[in-house]
Amino acid sequence: MKAVSVSTSAISNALRYSQTRMQVDLVKAQKEMDTSRVADLGLALGARTTQSVNFNRDVDRLNAIVDSNALVAARLSSTQAALDNLADTTQSLITSLTAANFGPQAASAVHDSGVATLESMVSILNTSMNGEYLFAGINTDMKPMHGFDTGSAAKTAFDNAFAGYFGFSQDDPAAAGITAAQMQSFLSDSSLTDQFFGSGWANWSSATDETITSRIALNETTQSSVGANVEAMRQLAMAASIVAAFLDSNLGEEAKQAVASQAISLADRALSGLTDLRAQTGIVQKRVSDASDRMKMQVDVFKRHILDLEGVDPYEAANRVNDLVTHIQTSYALTARIQQLSLLNFLT
Amino acid sequence: MSLTTALNIAQSSLLATSRQTSIVSRNIAGANDPDYARRIAMVASMVPGAQVVQIQRAANEQLFRQNLAALSAWSGQSTLSGGMDRLELAVNGTDNASSASTAIGALQQALQIYATTPSNRNLGDNVIEAAQQVVRSLNEGTTALQEFRTQADGEIATAVGELNALLARFQDANRAVISGTQAGSDVSDALDQRDAILKKIAEYVPVSTFTRGDNDMVITTGDGTMLFETVPRSVSFTPSSGYMAGVAGNTIYIDNVPLSAGPANSAEATGKLAGMLQLRDGVAVTMQAQLDEIARGLITAFAEGDPPSAAGLFTWSGAPAIPAAGPPATVLDGLAGQIRVNQAAIDNPVLLRDGGINGAAYVVNTAGASYAGLLIAYGDRLNAPMSFAPSAGIEVNSSVTTYSANAIGWFEGVRQRAATAAETKEALATRTAEALSNETGVNVDTELSLLLDLEHTYQASARILSSVNQMLDSLLEAVR
Repeated sequence: MKAVSVSTSAISNALRYSQTRMQVDLVKAQKEMDTSRVADLGLALGARTTQSVNFNRDVDRLNAIVDSNALVAARLSSTQAALDNLADTTQSLITSLTAANFGPQAASAVHDSGVATLESMVSILNTSMNGEYLFAGINTDMKPMHGFDTGSAAKTAFDNAFAGYFGFSQDDPAAAGITAAQMQSFLSDSSLTDQFFGSGWANWSSATDETITSRIALNETTQSSVGANVEAMRQLAMAASIVAAFLDSNLGEEAKQAVASQAISLADRALSGLTDLRAQTGIVQKRVSDASDRMKMQVDVFKRHILDLEGVDPYEAANRVNDLVTHIQTSYALTARIQQLSLLNFLT
Repeated sequence: MSLTTALNIAQSSLLATSRQTSIVSRNIAGANDPDYARRIAMVASMVPGAQVVQIQRAANEQLFRQNLAALSAWSGQSTLSGGMDRLELAVNGTDNASSASTAIGALQQALQIYATTPSNRNLGDNVIEAAQQVVRSLNEGTTALQEFRTQADGEIATAVGELNALLARFQDANRAVISGTQAGSDVSDALDQRDAILKKIAEYVPVSTFTRGDNDMVITTGDGTMLFETVPRSVSFTPSSGYMAGVAGNTIYIDNVPLSAGPANSAEATGKLAGMLQLRDGVAVTMQAQLDEIARGLITAFAEGDPPSAAGLFTWSGAPAIPAAGPPATVLDGLAGQIRVNQAAIDNPVLLRDGGINGAAYVVNTAGASYAGLLIAYGDRLNAPMSFAPSAGIEVNSSVTTYSANAIGWFEGVRQRAATAAETKEALATRTAEALSNETGVNVDTELSLLLDLEHTYQASARILSSVNQMLDSLLEAVR
């Protein structure tokens, strides 16, 4: 009996198994070299594939939020610009009111400035962006502000309030007899103030009190618009409309004076309200851009993790391909040599 | 007298040598047959000069058994691993592209974009399209899984048929061995054939064997069920024509004892039949349960009403009710196949933003087009933890998005274990086959050198014959 034995088929098959293994590995290594990722993620990571799936989804999700934040940021900066314009308008109304005396000529000039203020206020509040009215609250399909032109619902209701209080219209000759005190009490009467601070505001605005809510980070939402129904807009509307309605009417100079001082006080308050709004909007803008920065950083971190999980060093993969090719060639050469190695070749 | 003896001895030597030569040539002929065991000529001297040649068959019981066990393990594991590769592609797609997790991720993004500009109806359509994709992924996953189970069932039926045929052939081979042994003739060829068939049987079921008198072999399966004893025992299986989620498959009976598939989801199987059973009843069933749970999570996350009570964006056969949340959370078999996008939402995606898929009572927003509250809430609910059934094999408390990712992780974990085990078992099977071949196989070089020896012996014997002949001739010459 032989001490050691080896069969011919074992010799010729010896390299076959390792040969196929190496060829399988070669295909894998080539794929890894091309993609710089492991060839079969599931086989490489096993149960840890969950991490890779989660990271990838989070990266996509964060990127989507970063993209949508750009939209929110654009809306906010348009809002900011519009608020700037409104503040300027308010400021110029105040200026023209303070400078004036209320002789017939001057009153008419101030009246024009009131009308202009109203017009620009309506047009600013009706700014639209991307098909949405910026100041409409969430009712962005509808133009939020209606004008104060003759015949408009707001103007009619306003005139009715005056007529209801005094029994005649402001253009009636009798209006000249209204005293400053009477005018003052009318200006703070609810029949007039309701037009702006009560139910009558519906004649002015179709905006909703609720404003647009946006998700700006995975777990953070914020109000991302300013509605036309805020206090400052109402004050400004009232200031401008009493100026526009009364300063070229038949009211006496004293009454006009009373109107003007009320308008100044309202416009002042509106101005400070607008400043607050601008500050608030600025804060939200900052939150949005901070959130975007934070998420971009998160995305970078996640991508690094993904690379750690799935990545393959392309140099290493290339080396592996080279090694395998060398091995396979060696194994071919060996197989050929072994096949020649037979006693048969030496027997004649 | 002694010259005649010399002649006789040379003659018997010639006879013995030619018999040995025939064995060498038989060995060389079988050199490349993996089932061939080397024959060894045992030459024994009887009375002076007389030689008999006995044929022995090289065998190594130990290695052969090891090889059988390794074959079973390898065949089972590679069935399991190959099946899981198929499942991965069918259910999750390349790089998980068609997985529920990916589709839910896309839905979440679409929701985010719509929530930022809710007044844009196109973005709403976009969300509906993403929801359709989720539904497609779940529906197609269910179809693929059940098709896979049906296919596995068919393969089991084929395999059982093949096993029965092998057992019948084994009976023939075993009979040949027994009758040859009883008659005292050389049964090596019959033994080779029987071993070859046994190796094939071992690929289907793990076997253990013992040999009785007259070389009669008895086969039992790994867990002790009789597979062959004088006559083959029947292996029976009734295939099912089609599978639905929650329908259990039929069992394979060997000698009326059910064949065990091994521990469920353990990624271990010995023998092809067990591997297929595990695929059909283990992995595929658990995956289906996970898909069903994902579907339940989605329907719940998008339900309308406060508290959520009516199936919203996603609906199912039990709508408008939502699937019972438990506790205890239970798997609703086949829910992933039933889930659909609500037709009302397809017709008018704005209903998703405003509420009211289930009618005016569920409308949340009447104020305006930029209302995002509900959309943001849906996005949050996709990430809010809920409880899932423990029977689906993965974490029971997680959000539906995490759950869908965990489902992939679970599957890839099992698949990785199966693939690694298959590789190990393949190496083991190859290694034991090699060892067995080294122990019992033919080395052509040895046989050739043996042939040289035999040639010399033959030449020498022939020379003796002719020399004796000459001597006798010269003797007769002298006598004449």
